This record gives sequence, structure tokens and C-alpha cells, in this order.
Amino acid sequence: MRLVLERRAETPLALRIGSPLLAVALTLLSAIVIFAALGHDPWRALHIYFVMPLSDSWGLQEVAVKATPLVLIAVGLALCYRSNNWNIGAEGQFLVGALAGSWLALATHGAPDGPWLLPAMLACGALGGALFALIPALLKTRFGANEILTSLMLVYVAELLMDWLVRGPWRDPHGFNMPQTVIFEPEATIPLLMEGGRLNIGTPLMLLVVALMAVLAARTLKGFEIRLVGEAPRAARFAGFSETRLTWTVFALSGALAGLAGILEAAGTVRQLQPAISPGYGFTAIIVAFLGRLNPVGCLVAGVFLAITFIGGENAQILLRLPLDVTRVFQGLLLFYVLACDTLLLYRVRLVRGAAA
Amino acid sequence: MTLSRRSLMAGAGALAGATALNGPAATPALAQGAPLNVGFILIGPVGDFGWSTMHDQGRRRMLEVLGNRVTATQVESVAPPDFDRVATQLVRTGARLIFTTSFSYFAPTQRIAPQHPNVMWESATGTATGPNLAIYNARFYEGRYVQGVIAARKSRSKTIGYVASFPVPEVIHAINTVMRGAWSVDPQMRIRVVWVNAWFNPGREADAARALMDQGCDVICQHTDSPAPLQLAEQRGNVFGFGQASDMTRFAPRAHLTSSVNNWGDYYAERARLLLEGNWRPADTWGGLGSGMFRLAPFTNMTPEEVSEATRIRDALAAGTLHPFDGPIFRQDGTQVIAAGQRLTDDQIRAMNYFYQGIDVAMP
Amino acid sequence: MTLLEAILLTIITASTPLLIAAIGELVVERAGVLNLGVEGMMIMGAAAGIAAAITTGNSGLGVLAAVLAGMALAAVFAFLTLGLATNQVAAGLALSIFGLGLSGVVGAPFVGVQRAGIGKIEIPFLSEIPFLGPVLFAQDPFVYASFALVVGVSWFLWRSRAGLVLRACGENHASAHALGYPVLRIRLYAVLFGGACAGLAGAYLSLAYTPFWTSGMTGGRGWIALAIVVFASWLPWRAAIGAYLFGGITILQLHAQGAGVPLPSQLLSALPYLITILVLVLIMRLRRGGAAAPAALGTPFVPDR
Repeated sequence: MRLVLERRAETPLALRIGSPLLAVALTLLSAIVIFAALGHDPWRALHIYFVMPLSDSWGLQEVAVKATPLVLIAVGLALCYRSNNWNIGAEGQFLVGALAGSWLALATHGAPDGPWLLPAMLACGALGGALFALIPALLKTRFGANEILTSLMLVYVAELLMDWLVRGPWRDPHGFNMPQTVIFEPEATIPLLMEGGRLNIGTPLMLLVVALMAVLAARTLKGFEIRLVGEAPRAARFAGFSETRLTWTVFALSGALAGLAGILEAAGTVRQLQPAISPGYGFTAIIVAFLGRLNPVGCLVAGVFLAITFIGGENAQILLRLPLDVTRVFQGLLLFYVLACDTLLLYRVRLVRGAAA
Repeated sequence: MTLSRRSLMAGAGALAGATALNGPAATPALAQGAPLNVGFILIGPVGDFGWSTMHDQGRRRMLEVLGNRVTATQVESVAPPDFDRVATQLVRTGARLIFTTSFSYFAPTQRIAPQHPNVMWESATGTATGPNLAIYNARFYEGRYVQGVIAARKSRSKTIGYVASFPVPEVIHAINTVMRGAWSVDPQMRIRVVWVNAWFNPGREADAARALMDQGCDVICQHTDSPAPLQLAEQRGNVFGFGQASDMTRFAPRAHLTSSVNNWGDYYAERARLLLEGNWRPADTWGGLGSGMFRLAPFTNMTPEEVSEATRIRDALAAGTLHPFDGPIFRQDGTQVIAAGQRLTDDQIRAMNYFYQGIDVAMP
Repeated sequence: MTLLEAILLTIITASTPLLIAAIGELVVERAGVLNLGVEGMMIMGAAAGIAAAITTGNSGLGVLAAVLAGMALAAVFAFLTLGLATNQVAAGLALSIFGLGLSGVVGAPFVGVQRAGIGKIEIPFLSEIPFLGPVLFAQDPFVYASFALVVGVSWFLWRSRAGLVLRACGENHASAHALGYPVLRIRLYAVLFGGACAGLAGAYLSLAYTPFWTSGMTGGRGWIALAIVVFASWLPWRAAIGAYLFGGITILQLHAQGAGVPLPSQLLSALPYLITILVLVLIMRLRRGGAAAPAALGTPFVPDR
């Protein structure tokens, strides 16, 4: 017995809708089995995991807050990956963006003047992330150094840079020597959208970015260029597109978005710099990008979905005393199913008797 | 859900008007029969066999002591950006007493505590209390002093190796105190320090310990959580080490001298009991050897004379007759911090960012 | 033992898990498959290894369990990426998350359990050679296994017919298929081999290097192993150089700190990464060509019938 895949000429609409639903159904089924095996009431567990995070305004806000950095980073990465540029160092670009934007907040601390500060911080954050992302781009185009390696290595460098700054030059002088900066002035803090929650302007900003990127990818020459270079590099060369320039563009863009996410987190959710500012957003966003099929709107859906599982996992720890590791197993399974069901879109899967080819 | 919301409302009702800040009136007792829901937020995984594991054991101990008067929930590996959400969710699901067990959580705890005046917050390490915010920590440095004394007795190369995590005051004053203890035996003692920039990374801790041993250190102190440096000392032979966070004797039966064993359980049980009885008040608890918040594991691989000396010093520290931060204290560059007859205040100890004169290691 | 010998000895032990995992992944990538789940397979190996060793009391069975655990995770990956032709990058990352979680569940009962590590074996005569002897021939079995893997994989890839076929699958799977080679089956074997190596590297960590279990104990070594494969431009000998270089700088910076070199410890800790990038750039400059990545790396293959 073996699996045989036959490429579909066309994906029927029913399948496009059905495949994600099938993945969700399989996930729920495994969840029921796992929860039952662990001795929990599966229905209650499912409710806690998937319904509770969405059951009231607070929960919805929290999902949005958690999804915002993931989606922001992922849409940039999606662009990179479409053009065959393997930037896996978004975590580092996130951190450097946070550093660059916070620099402005710290430089004006005690004397923040004017409404220009916050936009300037966001711009600095994006610029910092972009410049940091250009290092692997430069090493790739100038020296042919593999960007997977350089961008990954630079994550560690960014972490240590952050560590050094908040323990050394940028340390809060009245913070009992703890490795963190001062709490930012209100003028340097991302404003909340409404009272009594944590939703800030980062989320609408993220939605705007998703819309812009969707237009860029689908409707502009640049978007076409990116797809062409990714899918048919030879044709792209014939068409006169410069791969070097494109590499710089997508790295700068994805770095800028990661940097923006970084400063939004630093000045929004955390309101100071400290070493543990990111729970691995830059790496999780890679998964979001792929779950979203490298499509901006897809990234939005995938980011929200992943955010729900993170929050559902916390709820499960609180209400069911399920350890975090079970949540991770669960997330891994979820991703496996989504990936496997995606295959149905491109291929017909059949079981065939006989030896393998 | 309705259940947890109702209990939250009930709690809020019971506590209405109970926000008399720092006043003589403490929190009123809970309604009879309703178990107290205690929340714990951990910075690392429960299985880190160090800081977070010991808080988890503290939680279990609290449950043991108070039985069905309390229930406990905990969330592990919470990154600071996720803190607000986790804390709020604990409150929403009925937690009335929440222990936030990392200094990374102190600023956000300080921010969130006023939003939930009916919930009592306790931050492990911190710099200030609030109307419903207590801080607590243990004076681990007292154990470091004893380590210094033992190290000076045991070392033939007269050099201590220190596997250090991060240059925060907690670690800086521990290094200073180890040397204070060592110099009390032999003023010639020296120290080498390697920063691994992690609280917990077994491989890197082992590498650091190897480097220190290769450079001639024959007693290893560690300010990181894994038993790796101690195991390595066992493998090498002729090298001794101290355990961290839990009793690590079994990891190095021939190299282990003593361990600094964290014990949060009795504190947790006591604080929960106070809240149950309506006597919880914000406090700044910094407990030493005498408080039971941590203890030293039985001394091993030491001569009877060494054991009795170490025991004497441990008891003097616990009784408060010996104080590791008595003056005179000089910084590395020779400037005086305090003169003889004076003693560092707790705030000065908490903010220490200099090595003592005589330590020939640069401040990172 | 002199200080230099001691340092070299330490470098070799610190580099061994990186080297073993990197060699496995190198074969996988040579076959045209990119498995980013090394970290997940490695930690699963560490957990399964110590769980089996403690339960049975036998280190050998522990190593076997670790290898099998790595292969089991690799099989999941193979089912997805080879059987169902899913995206390899995403499947690999999912594997890392999955492995991290599952290892925590498997390892939970063994937190804080003490166990003697697998000891060193001195090879008679060879270990008495001055200088080289104590450094190379008085090591634990994993170190010898890593030497054997480098030599064996080199020989396999360039001297054996099977190795040639494997490389052909990685360069152009369509041609290899047209020539009648079972591309998917060859890739399956390669992926399983990679899983076995990652599991072995994990066993080294939990059974010999730091013999106990704690969650997350691989500490990112799987990612470093991936970087070393690229650094090595898919050549086993260079992977050895890369692993020892990385391990070497890591150890030397610790020695520099111990000796009191007045530089920020963060800068010293960043050196292994910075120097790896620098050396890669230098290599690329000297060669003046693109990296010799297998041409079909990361692209799924679906045979036409």
C-alpha cells in the first residue's frame, strides 16, 4: 500500500472551503481523544480552548493584542518567502526595532515634547528593523552568504545587544539595578483604543498594513515581480527585474514590519525595555506566514487562529491544570493537520496497492 | 463560566470597603467554606529543576498545609508581554491571592494591582509594596557567606570559580558575600567569574564550570539552576561544588558540600492563611536562614571540624549575630561605601552594583 | 593535563552534539529535503533517552530509545513532506514545537532524577600519544561516533553508488526519477537517518554531557546544527570544522571571561555567532561563487505516473 498524489488541474471551490474545515475537524477529533485520555471532559476542554477566548469583549481584545505582532511580522515574511528570500531572523529584527524606537523614548524621557514623539518612535522602530534586516540582504547579494544562516545568527546577536543595553547604558538608574529601562512616559506609550482593555492603535495599524500588503501583492507591478522571481526566476531575469534590488526590498520591508511590531510591543504592551520582551514572536510568525499560505489576508486569519490557541492554552492551564507542554503538543498537531489538508488543494490523494515507485 | 463569575462577584462583595490602605484594618475574612483560590505565575517551565520547580513545590506544600481551604492554579513559562493577560485571566477565574514569581513581573504587577483592589498580589523580589501588593524574597546571600567559608577551607588552589547568571544585584552581592566569607578564613582567597547569561542552560553551565576548573578553580559556586556544574565536579574529582535551589547531594555524592534549598511553601501557606483569616497585610518580607524561606542542605564531604565551623557560622547568621554586610566596605576602586560600625541597608544591598576591594574581576 | 589539552578536550565535547546533528541534517539536505525540526527531534531524543535509561537502568537501551524517538519524529515529518508533499519549512517548524511539547510530557516524571553519565573510554595505546592521545582518544563513545559519522558520511556521499544517487535526488529529482530511482524512498531513508542522528545528539546531552533531564535542555543546539550545515556548504568535513569552530569560540570566550578579559560578557557571548558569519563571508569571498546548495533543496517532489 502506498500514497499516490495526483496534481489537480483545478481546485474545486468546495475543497477550498472544505480543506481548512477538515483540518479543524481533525484537530478537534484529536483534541477530544487527548483530553479524554488525560481524564478531562472533552466538551468542557474544547470550550475552554476555543470558545472562551472569544466569548466576551475582554477575550476578543486579548486575541487581537496577541495576534497583532504575529500578523505584522508574518505578512512581511510572506513577501520574503514568496520571492525565495529566506529571512528567518525576524525575531532579531523585532528586537532591534524595539531598541531603536525605545532609544527615542529614553532620550526624551523626563522632557517629552509634542505629539511627534510617538510617530517618530514608530518610524525609528521600523527603520531599525529594516536596517538590521538589510545585513543578511547585503551579505547575500554582495558575498553570496546564505541568508538562513546569517539572519538566524543575528537573532542571537540582537538578543545579546538588547541584554547589554538594558543591563548597562540604558538601565533604569532608580530600578535597583534590575535589567530594565525606566517605564516610558505616557507621551511615549501607544494609546489605548478604549478604556478597560489592552487594545491599542497597534491593531488597526496592523489591519491597515494587511490591507496595503494585500493590494501590493495582488495589484501592483512589485507584487508581480515578487511572485515571478519566486516562481520563475529565469523569466524574471528576462523581464529585466533585478534580483538584488528585490532581495533588498523584501528584506527591508519585512524587517521594517518586524521592527514596527517590536516597538509597538515595547511601547504598547510592556512600556519599557527588558530582555524578555518577546515570547518568540519572530519565530512563531514564520509558522503564521506558512499557515496563511504566504498571503496577507491568510496571515491575518492564521495569526488570529494561533493567538486563540495560545490564549486557550493559558486558559487550559488555569482551569484544567493542563501543563503547557500539552498545549505545545496540541499546537504541533494542529499545524500538521492544516499542512496535511492543504495537500488536498493541490493534489488528489489515493491509496494504491503495490510497491512504491 | 457562570460559576467563576459568580464567585468573583461574591469575592468582590465580601471585600467591598476592604481597601483601607495600609490601615490597621486588614482584609476581612472570606465567607466560611469558600476555598481561597491562589494563582501562581511562573517565569520558566515547571520542569526547570530550579527556580520555577521550587515555586511549584511551594504551591504543593501550601496545598498540603491548608488542605481544602485553598485551591491553586498556576501558569508556567509566561513571558512579560503576556503577563497582563495571564494575571487578568487568573483574576477573572476567581483567584484572590496571586504570587508573581519573577522580578521581571514586578513592574507589571505594580501596574495591574491597583486595577484589581480586591485581589492581593505578592511579587517575588520587588522594590516597593502597595495597598494590595506585598513583596517577598529570601536572603540567599547568607548561604553564600557559609559557602565562602567552606570554600576557603576546601580549596587548595585558593581560587573559587563562580558560574554566574546575569549581573543583577542579587548575583553581585552574592559574589561579594562569598568572598567575604572566604576572606574571613583566608585573606589570600581569589575568585574567577564566568557569566553564562542564562539562569538555566545546562550545557553552557557545564562548559563554564569546565573552563573555570581548567583555569585552576577547585571549588565551584553556581548561581544558575542546573546540577550540571556539580555533576562535572563529581566527574573531575578533587573539585567541590555547591547545589542551587534544591538539595543536589545525589548529583555529586563525592563533590557536593552543601546546597542552598529554596522553601517557599511555608511562606505561601502562611500568607494564604492570613488572607483566609482576614489578617493579610502588604509586607516586605526578606527572610534569612532564620525564617525558613531557604535552608542549607546537610554538609557533606567535610571533616567534623569543618562541619562544626560551618554549622556555627550558619547558626550565627540565622540568629542575626553575624551580619555579612557590616562595614567597613570598600568598592573595587578603593572608595568607601560605609565605615566600620555601619551596616548596609536593605535597599543598598538590593541595589548593589560594585565588587568589593580585593576582587580582581571586572564588573561586567 | 596542560591547559591547552584541557581546552581542546572541552571544545570537542561541547561540539559533539552539534556535529552529530549537523551530519544527520547534511545527509537530509543532500537528498533535497530541508528539515527545520532538528531541535524538536533532538530534545525528543534527550527525553526518550533518559526516560528509557532510567526505567531500564541500561544506558545502551537509552541511546537506542533516543535514536528511535528521533526517527519516529522524522517519520512524521516524512509522512507530511514526502507522502503529502507539504511545505517543508512549515512542517519542520511544526515538528520543533511538537517535539518540545512532547518531550516535556515524556520527561516530566524524570525531572531531578540522578543518573551517572556515560563515561569516557580510553583507547589503548592511542590514548597514550602525547597531546593528541588525551584530546582525541580518551573520550566518551559519542565522540568516537561523531568521528565515525564524519568519515562514514563522507565516504558514503562521494565514494558509494548509493551516495551518488542520493545526491542526484537532491540536485534534480525529476532526472533522478526519470532514471528510475525511487526518489521518495531515498528521501525517506535520508530523513530517517537525520532523525536518528538528531536523537543521538539528544542522547549525548541527557546521558553523557549533562546527565539529567530538564525541559528545554537542548537550548537551541538544533538551530545551531542547521546553521552549521549551511556554513559547511553541505560538506561533511566542513561541518566538522564548523562545529569545532563554533564550539571552540564558545569555550574560549568562557575562558576569556574566567581570565578576566575586560569586555562585556554579552559581546563575548555574541562572538561565536559573529565569527561564524564572518568566516562564512570570507569563505564565500575566496570561492567567488554561490553556495553549493543542493539544487532541489526544499522543493517537494511528486512523481508523475
